[in-house]
Amino acid sequence: MANTPAHTPIIDREFLERLERLAIHWQRSFAGLVGGHNRSHFAGGGQEFLDHRQFHQGDDLRAVNWRAYMRLDKMFLKMFQIEPRVPVRLLLDTSVSMINGKFEYALRLCASLCYVGLVRLDTIEVLPFAGELHEGKACGGGRQRFSPLSRFLETLKPSGSTNFLKVVKQFLNEYPQRGLVIVISDFLDESGCEKALQYLADYGNELMLIQLWTDEDRTPRFSGEYDFIDAETSARLRIHVDADARRQYTAAFDKFAASIKTVAFRNNGRYAGLETSVPLEDAIFGSLLKSQVIA
Amino acid sequence: MGRTPLSAAGPPAGLVGQAGNFGFSGTVGSLMEFLNLTLGQFLFLLGSISAVSVALYLLDRTRRRQIVSTLRFWVVPGQPAPVSRRRKIQQPISLLLQLLGMALLLLAIAEFQFGGALNKRRDHVLVLDTSAWMAALLPNGSGNTLMDLARANAIGWLRAVPPSDRVLLVRADGLATPATSWESDHRKVARAILESQPGATALNLSQNLEFARDLQRESGATLGEIVYAGPGRISAREANNLTLPNLPAFRVLPVDDAVENAGIRSLGARRSQTSTGAWDVLVRVRNYGLRPRVVAVTLNFGNAPQGNHPVELAPGAEKETSFTVHTQAAGILEARLYPRDAFAPDNYAALELPAQRSLHVTVYSDQPEALRPALASDPRVAAQFRPTREYKPNDDGLVILDRFRPETRPQGSSLWIDPPADRPPIPIKERVEHPEGLRWTPDLALTEGLRARNTQIESASVFEAGPGATIVAEIDKGPVIMSRGNMVVVGFNPFAGSMRYELAAPLLLANVLRQAAPDVFRDVDVGTQSAGAVSSPIANEVDRKSVEVLTDSGKVLPFNIRDHAVQFFAGEASRVRVIAGNSERVYSLTLPEMWDVKWTPPATARHGIPAWNDTIRRSRSLWPWLALAGLALLVAEWILFGSYTTSRIHIVKQHLRSAA
Repeated sequence: MANTPAHTPIIDREFLERLERLAIHWQRSFAGLVGGHNRSHFAGGGQEFLDHRQFHQGDDLRAVNWRAYMRLDKMFLKMFQIEPRVPVRLLLDTSVSMINGKFEYALRLCASLCYVGLVRLDTIEVLPFAGELHEGKACGGGRQRFSPLSRFLETLKPSGSTNFLKVVKQFLNEYPQRGLVIVISDFLDESGCEKALQYLADYGNELMLIQLWTDEDRTPRFSGEYDFIDAETSARLRIHVDADARRQYTAAFDKFAASIKTVAFRNNGRYAGLETSVPLEDAIFGSLLKSQVIA
Repeated sequence: MGRTPLSAAGPPAGLVGQAGNFGFSGTVGSLMEFLNLTLGQFLFLLGSISAVSVALYLLDRTRRRQIVSTLRFWVVPGQPAPVSRRRKIQQPISLLLQLLGMALLLLAIAEFQFGGALNKRRDHVLVLDTSAWMAALLPNGSGNTLMDLARANAIGWLRAVPPSDRVLLVRADGLATPATSWESDHRKVARAILESQPGATALNLSQNLEFARDLQRESGATLGEIVYAGPGRISAREANNLTLPNLPAFRVLPVDDAVENAGIRSLGARRSQTSTGAWDVLVRVRNYGLRPRVVAVTLNFGNAPQGNHPVELAPGAEKETSFTVHTQAAGILEARLYPRDAFAPDNYAALELPAQRSLHVTVYSDQPEALRPALASDPRVAAQFRPTREYKPNDDGLVILDRFRPETRPQGSSLWIDPPADRPPIPIKERVEHPEGLRWTPDLALTEGLRARNTQIESASVFEAGPGATIVAEIDKGPVIMSRGNMVVVGFNPFAGSMRYELAAPLLLANVLRQAAPDVFRDVDVGTQSAGAVSSPIANEVDRKSVEVLTDSGKVLPFNIRDHAVQFFAGEASRVRVIAGNSERVYSLTLPEMWDVKWTPPATARHGIPAWNDTIRRSRSLWPWLALAGLALLVAEWILFGSYTTSRIHIVKQHLRSAA
């Protein structure tokens, strides 16, 4: 009988233990249920006192601060902070442009962020996408829920071409509840992704854009005659690559990355550009911490 | 320093440095050459490498397919996509640099050099004089010899020879002896030079130079120099027959040999003609120097002094002095010359004298007076005259029967003079009175020197010629003198009548005596010979397998038998014994073979040690620069156009890391 090959987890245990002290950082508050560690700035039926306000007719008398009324002869209403249960949604790019190790890197990064969220009792929902939004996986309730999510990620394979606009529209239709949206992608869409990302932000979602690229994506080493084939569209480009062409290429890429960054910052979101040659551990505890994606 | 004739006095010419003519004849033409490869090999290798390089270059520069994440960054927004036209050679400078770099490296491997034939590897022959004269001491009192000086010159020349040239050392004396093979390792040649020692023979210059030329031609390589190192002293015989071969590149490393020397030229001994048991000894001495000298010649026989003669010698003069040595015994005769001088080997000569023997002759005659003067004239004959009545048949030596027939014939050699008709030893046909027309049979040992025809004879017996008998002389009616075995019968009395006054009678008796004991009457003329080639005659009947040639020390010398003579070469002074069958001949080769004249090199010969080594070495050191230039070009091409840039290496590292 053939031996079953040993299952290699996406992230090893030692790395997971290091991730436990991290938390996904929210910059905006969303109205929702209590849950997780992120505090909501909206008053509600929470446990912790938030503020006072003037009593209005119809307010719940149980929330009146009677001590203040006795002393000041005015009725003040105590407001309590509610805790959100808004899920953290991760849009994971599974298009075929995620080649040269980008896809594997994205899977591991996604798994890491999921584990960080689960440890902090966030509700995590992974949504793979390419030309359209694929069926996702949602889970919450602690680190013991990480295994199903990990197995889900392992089933993903890169396929299809990226169509951000279509994906965003589909996302907004299916998930009208606003929240934190983390996009892990190379953002390489022939029709552009800035407009789609802007839609996402305009609908009240907090954007956290993580752009992945390889060395070859940003600073290609090619020299000579090349017949380039687009991984997604199979379009061909015959070109003679020299140092000048490479320099122009890198400039164009940087300009593109800057545009993604601009979209994120313009909408009070966050942006992190990760090069796949950098080890994931270094990227998480370096670039992502620095860009306040996690804290 | 100009060229100095060898015969000129003064310090050695050109010891340190006359460059002479640098080039070698017949080699000037091409301006460059390859030391390690032929031109064909070089072009073949260069063509092969270039073809492989171009093929790899074109393969490396072919368009490659590459799947990328996007094409958008390769195209400038708003501009059409660039269309690349494929060229067969994309980077001609890169290809040119590669080909040039590899060509330079190949040139370095081939040891390319300018100068062409001038720098070709050559085969030189060094002829080092090892004649006997090279043992002479230098007059400066340093204890060095001419050989040391010649060795120093040869080593100096060897150092000037380009390292890649091959050198063959020939030790030159009476024979040309190659001491090394063709050697590129000059240390071996230097070792052979230092091991060269003077021999005992004179220089045979023409033979040595001819040998060197033949060696050079047979080597098959470019002809180098033939270099002679020595003073150029040759014998008169060599000088008279000197025909130097045509040597296109001949160099002389002269050795100044202004050495004062007087030596024994020869030592000879002859049996005295006037005294029984005595030897006349002649010693010939010569002054080889430039100043007059008085030398003392002493003679010893068996360690007993025999005489001491002072001899005054003018420069270049040669004189003889004679001694008489009384001995019949064999022994060693030694001659010494005093005072000792710079060249010791010719101050001593030794000779082995043989024992002197005599022939015992018994004459049975009743009238011996006629025979007595004839036998008494030769000291080697011990004659005893007896009357016929005292005849004994067992007398040793020669028995002469004068008109007498004994009952029993003698057991040894016998001479019958006019035997009686009654039972003669050879039958008598008739008796003839006053015979005329006496004729001697030619080509017989008994008739040697006898030519007289009109000899007056009173009467003679004519013998009957029978089997086994040889006719010595005859008249018209028949033979009158016959011989059979060791017996000679004369039919008349040569010591009577008018014939006693003719020369034929003692000559006939002398021939009979010589036939009876040839070794006694053989002319003994012994003398020293110089070492070198010796030819020793042997008898026809000697078995060639029994021939041996030995020195006193028992060393076997190689020899050759040709024309009934044993030919051998004695390279050192010694006594040599030639044993052939039952005979033994001793050669006293105790004197070295000396020179007579000084040879003058031809005007075309170069002199001294050349200085072209440095020039050639410099030109040959071009290959490191070629290699450096080739490497520099390849590195430059790698930096400017190479695919393996630092970024590419980085990618490779990344792939390796991910694979790990």
